[in-house]
Amino acid sequence: MNKYLSIIFLVLLSVIFITIQTTLLSPHNLGSYYPDLNLILIVFLAIFSEIRGGFFLALGNGYMMDVLSGNLPGTFAISRLSAYLLVRSGSNHVYLRKALVQGLVIFLATIFTWIFILTIIKIKKGDSADITAQSILIQGIVNALVGVPIFWMIHRINARFQK
Amino acid sequence: MKFLKNRAVLITIVLFFVSIQLYSLNLREKSSQNFISGIVLTVTYYPQKLIYIVSDKVTNIWQDYMDLANVRQENIQLKEDIKKLRVEKFESAEAEIQNQRFKKLLDFKEVPSYPIVSANVIGGSPSLLRSEVVIVDRGSRDGISQGMPVASSEGIVGKVLTVGNKSSEILLITDPVSAIDAFVHRTRVRGIVKGAGGECTMEYIEQNSDISVGDKIISSGKEGFFPKGVIVGTVTNIETKGSFLSAEVSPFVDLESLEEVVIILKSNNIVLNE
Repeated sequence: MNKYLSIIFLVLLSVIFITIQTTLLSPHNLGSYYPDLNLILIVFLAIFSEIRGGFFLALGNGYMMDVLSGNLPGTFAISRLSAYLLVRSGSNHVYLRKALVQGLVIFLATIFTWIFILTIIKIKKGDSADITAQSILIQGIVNALVGVPIFWMIHRINARFQK
Repeated sequence: MKFLKNRAVLITIVLFFVSIQLYSLNLREKSSQNFISGIVLTVTYYPQKLIYIVSDKVTNIWQDYMDLANVRQENIQLKEDIKKLRVEKFESAEAEIQNQRFKKLLDFKEVPSYPIVSANVIGGSPSLLRSEVVIVDRGSRDGISQGMPVASSEGIVGKVLTVGNKSSEILLITDPVSAIDAFVHRTRVRGIVKGAGGECTMEYIEQNSDISVGDKIISSGKEGFFPKGVIVGTVTNIETKGSFLSAEVSPFVDLESLEEVVIILKSNNIVLNE
């Protein structure tokens, strides 16, 4: 029962996070200085969540990003799924209880997803999608700073369901 | 899942190539609209609308409080404005009668008017990649379909990109995918207004054309998409680009703080996504 509650909680959290990201914290208004809550949640799933559906949740979250940002289906879905798999695989080898390490993982996941997306755009369209290295670095730092306290918060709530 | 976990790097490389293929496929189909997109838009509509209502209420309360402080001065100003407007109204009525007479004389064809639907902006893009997208609280149940032109009281805003049951995504004219056939209001010089991320550029203007900074740009209606004569923006800079002139155009509508738009119920078959 607790396992199902945990899944429902994470699905609801996905919808809440994407809603906040499209309203109060939209890059349409904030530019590069917005926290990518959607990616933070995916990294959380990869590091901490023990539920079986984490893979599909990561895919679904990426797909919501594709739809709501008007991008072609798969742009975010696959890049975020790849980030999920890499972080999940790496989480066995790195001690992730320290806030600094968690921040670093979020930062690296941000950089990885952007490189993934921009490389595909570069290969297929030949242009660089008008996103600078500076704005990617800023977003990585913002994500890391915002992500660590969010991790702590979700971890506490999620732990209640997983007990 | 253990298989995925143990071979993450290999799977990531495979996903990368899958992604390239998927991207090519989507580029060929040139559409992001599908059944699941509609579901995502509908699921996120309710929380977005809730946040919109709450933030709108808070803003209004604060605005009312601020307005109260200046109400006396504003009242005097408004009375002055009413006097001026009465004079202008009379002049405008005279001009309208004169205009009708000239139209009859010249046997002018009336520009067809289309039904419109007003909508509130309840959200924006969640990503830096294509951040020139906003979400509005009208969808297919209100008669909205993909590709319909969107404007505000001040000018052109963009086109409908994806449609859900109760909400839709609008691609703004400042998005690099956006292109509008337009001309200079003063001289009728033609060009294509393209999005350039926050700004627009008018391209393919012939050399030696009569265009200068401050000129107003309006839609030509030639591509059969936007109605003719809707204002796009103002020329802020002109430079030579190859064998053509290129003009920077500042959109007339403040797209950063867009709150309300009108969707023109004009169906067409143009698909928007690149």
